[in-house]
Amino acid sequence: MPVTYKGWRIWTVKYEDNFKTMPKGFGYAQATAEVNRCLLCHDAPCSKECPADTKPAEFIRKFRLKNVTGAIRTIKENNILGGACGVLCPTNRLCEKACSAKFVSDDKPEGADRPIQIGKIQRFLVEYAWQTGFIPIEKKDEKTEKIAVVGSGPGGLSCAAELAKNGYPVTIFESRPEPGGVLRYGVISSRFDMDFLEREINDVTALGVDIQCNSPIDKKAGAEKLLDDGYSAVFMATGLWAAASLKNNKNEIFGLYSSVDYLSALRDGRFNEMVENIEDKTVAVIGGGSVAMDCIQTASKIGAKDVYLVYRRSYAQMPAEPEERIEAMEDGVHFILLNQLTDYVVNKDNQIEGVKLVRTRLGDSDESGRRKPEIISDSEWVLDADVVIEAIGNTALENSPEWYPSVTVDEKNLIKVAPETGKTNVDGIFAGGDAVRGPALVVQAVQDGKTAARAIVEYLKN
Amino acid sequence: MSKDIDLSVEFCGVNFKNPFLLSSSPVSNSAEMVEKAFDAGWGGVVFKTLNSGRLSIIHPSPRMNSINYGNQKEVAVQNVEQISDRPLKDNLMDFLYLKKNYPDRPIVASIMGFFEEEWAYLAKVAEDNGADMLELNFSCPHMSIEGSGHKVGQSFHLIEKFTSTVKNSVSIPVMAKMTPNITDMREPAMYAKNGGADAIAAINTVRGISQIGLDDWVPKPNVFGKSTVSGTSGPAIKPIGLKFIAEMAQCKELGLPLSGMGGIETWIDALEYIAVGATILQATTGVMHYGYRVVEDLIEGLSDFMAGRNITKITDLVGKALPNLQETENFELDRQGVVNFDMARCIGCGQCVVVCHDAGGQALDWDSEKRRPLPIEEKCLSCMLCQFVCPVQGMINYKEMPNSWQRKETAVRDSGVEKDVKYEVFNKEPPKVCSD
Ligand SMILES: Cc1cc2nc3c(=O)[nH]c(=O)nc-3n(C[C@H](O)[C@H](O)[C@H](O)COP(=O)(O)OP(=O)(O)OC[C@H]3O[C@@H](n4cnc5c(N)ncnc54)[C@H](O)[C@@H]3O)c2cc1C
Ligand SMILES: Cc1cc2nc3c(=O)[nH]c(=O)nc-3n(C[C@H](O)[C@H](O)[C@H](O)COP(=O)(O)O)c2cc1C
Ligand code: SF4
Repeated sequence: MPVTYKGWRIWTVKYEDNFKTMPKGFGYAQATAEVNRCLLCHDAPCSKECPADTKPAEFIRKFRLKNVTGAIRTIKENNILGGACGVLCPTNRLCEKACSAKFVSDDKPEGADRPIQIGKIQRFLVEYAWQTGFIPIEKKDEKTEKIAVVGSGPGGLSCAAELAKNGYPVTIFESRPEPGGVLRYGVISSRFDMDFLEREINDVTALGVDIQCNSPIDKKAGAEKLLDDGYSAVFMATGLWAAASLKNNKNEIFGLYSSVDYLSALRDGRFNEMVENIEDKTVAVIGGGSVAMDCIQTASKIGAKDVYLVYRRSYAQMPAEPEERIEAMEDGVHFILLNQLTDYVVNKDNQIEGVKLVRTRLGDSDESGRRKPEIISDSEWVLDADVVIEAIGNTALENSPEWYPSVTVDEKNLIKVAPETGKTNVDGIFAGGDAVRGPALVVQAVQDGKTAARAIVEYLKN
Repeated sequence: MSKDIDLSVEFCGVNFKNPFLLSSSPVSNSAEMVEKAFDAGWGGVVFKTLNSGRLSIIHPSPRMNSINYGNQKEVAVQNVEQISDRPLKDNLMDFLYLKKNYPDRPIVASIMGFFEEEWAYLAKVAEDNGADMLELNFSCPHMSIEGSGHKVGQSFHLIEKFTSTVKNSVSIPVMAKMTPNITDMREPAMYAKNGGADAIAAINTVRGISQIGLDDWVPKPNVFGKSTVSGTSGPAIKPIGLKFIAEMAQCKELGLPLSGMGGIETWIDALEYIAVGATILQATTGVMHYGYRVVEDLIEGLSDFMAGRNITKITDLVGKALPNLQETENFELDRQGVVNFDMARCIGCGQCVVVCHDAGGQALDWDSEKRRPLPIEEKCLSCMLCQFVCPVQGMINYKEMPNSWQRKETAVRDSGVEKDVKYEVFNKEPPKVCSD
């Protein structure tokens, strides 16, 4: 909410407080304390659960034995975005889940009573490297083959770093004005801030990676053309930048946003405009995933009068992390569960005034294993809202297949690759991240980038 | 806490309501401090070592360094503090104040001189101003002047000389405080006894180096670019203190009452010192770490332990463990055992497997499916390393095996190389040693 001072409304205060920076991570003493709790397991379960093959057991042991630089190296050599992952990974269902799940016993001694906070330790070590100026990565001999990476999100950055480490000159082509992909234009600053992102991107450019912003590869057959222009291989990591919407192809409705557009706006200079739209207004967010949580969290922080979350299944089926859901409730968000959007209510000026909802009940499980919502007939009602944000899934841009017409895509326009190499059907073109998997995780995009980079190195040997 | 427990002790004719004394150090630097300690429950004090005023004492700054282990702070402390920097007269006035206000708490005056007249002078003024007992500091570990501090403690004839000087100057009991920076304390203790000492106190700090600054190569504490070998105290030195006390307690020829110290923080530490022969106890680092309040837990913990065992007098426990402290040749080596796992309590961390393979008998296989160790009993060395690392207390225990049980010998890696081994059985006898 803006602060009023002598009739002036002061935004900056709230902006700084609520949006610009994320909470501080562990300091040295806290990190040491947490590391000392670790049991240093044999055959460590945590080290088997990271999608990017991070070995927490190894960096924790190194830290414990005061080999702090070695611990940093373990993280960063494997994952150039180790800091981002430390902050953003849903560790409670990855490494940290493995940490606690293994202890099947009546006894819960110290260290086994709750998982070690691996993500926080990882973040600390990466920040500590920045603080102390330690550079953990060495480059190999210079190679000559140039490689193009399209997209500077986690997938692109990870691939570029891995190739640069191996001595290859890499150029990243990025359509937006700044690098980072979802890390910059999606995830809200209060969860992951720009300072942190800049530093971690520095680690990539320090390896010699060249990032060309404002350089979309979106002409017809743009990717294939890169191969013709002298790049020996191309890695596509363009992500998902269209939003699923009920609206599809209808006229523009004022006050209706996709999550992609809304969250980008908070970051790309349209912040104040967005604040004007939301402050003291009623906001309805449609969806139940982490992105929906980011939307409601920002809306309540900006100072919306009421924030509604509309979700078609029930609380237990929401894909958002438990902490996010609890936090949203604490923030005063109203959860409207078992309700499905059917249409928008719009006035004559095409300004949104509410959403038409229909009540649902849970039926049998669907293929995701969650119970399916079934519509209850004659239960329509209208929820008044000044702003509606749809957070019901990001998709590939409709025209994206034209950027690489020879590459096979599926019915959702996701690029098809061999999972163990990231190879597409076209020689020399590789792909990974959300553009291949659909909505996934930072850590998975990182792994795809690494996998593809290793496959590219092999490919170039032949 | 049981009311019938008697923690009082008589030591060289001086009565203490409990055996816990502040040892001579910053914790006993002034009456203002000692008063607070007495209010908290301490049974007595060994006041910070008096100086005669002949030399001006300036403490180096900074004067201490903490040795930490993981999150555990002050596992040991390193100090280069000197004897009291207060004017002698101030200290003596503080004696008078304490005697007046706390008549039931004995004051032991710690003194250190450099030559006979100085020792005699200090002993006399301490006695004249109410000290109930003297402690002769033969053990300050960072004295560089020959004939002072631990240098005396290492020159045994000086111990005898200075002790007898003091004994001839006063009538209150005299205790000699020994340095651990020697091999065997019984010998200097005998010199002290011959000089007339009524008791022995041990140990003062252990000479050491706690830490090196890696940016400037200056060890800690860093006194403006310089450091020195100096005294280590606290929990880490407890094994050394216990050893010296035990050896002196077992020495019949010595036969003097002992005041034990070195790493006492809890009632268990205290009881261990008592069990190896100490009658009164002293502490500094425990107080530097936690404050005077630790005495509440020393008293309560010890009393409750005694109540639980139906022991009413603390003095009944002095030396309790000594009969069991023997030479290795007396061990019954034909009795052997293995470890026993209470597998239902196992949490599956596998630390035991790591250490057994890398430092034990390779007696634990690993079931990676169930995440459990698989003991191979006949290979177990009973080294107990697995128990040391196990986070579940009491899950891994020692089990004696029947006499018929045989441990499997550690296999030779490749018996194929036997033909290449260069080896002859050793069959010589040691040379005869001349006994006179
Ligand atoms: C709001 C939100 C919150 C999220 N929160 C989390 C979280 O907390 N934890 C987590 O693990 N995951 C989270 N995710 C998912 C995660 O961000 C993605 O899985 C990850 O960013 C995918 O990385 P990527 O490199 O494949 O794509 P992106 O990050 O989408 O990057 C693609 C990049 O390619 C650029 N690009 C697109 N087209 C072109 C073109 N034609 N030419 C040049 N450049 C192009 C884009 O501008 C963008 O910079 C979140 C996602 C969203 C949307
Ligand atoms: C900072 C410091 C100063 C000390 N000063 C003296 C002293 O002046 N005279 C003395 O006899 N012992 C002195 N000692 C030694 C202690 O009295 C005690 O013998 C030693 O610290 C071991 O006991 P502890 O482990 O309980 O600390 C000092 C110890 C410390 C830590
Ligand atoms: S006691 Fe030693 S040899 Fe026996 S199982 Fe434990 S670690 Fe292995």
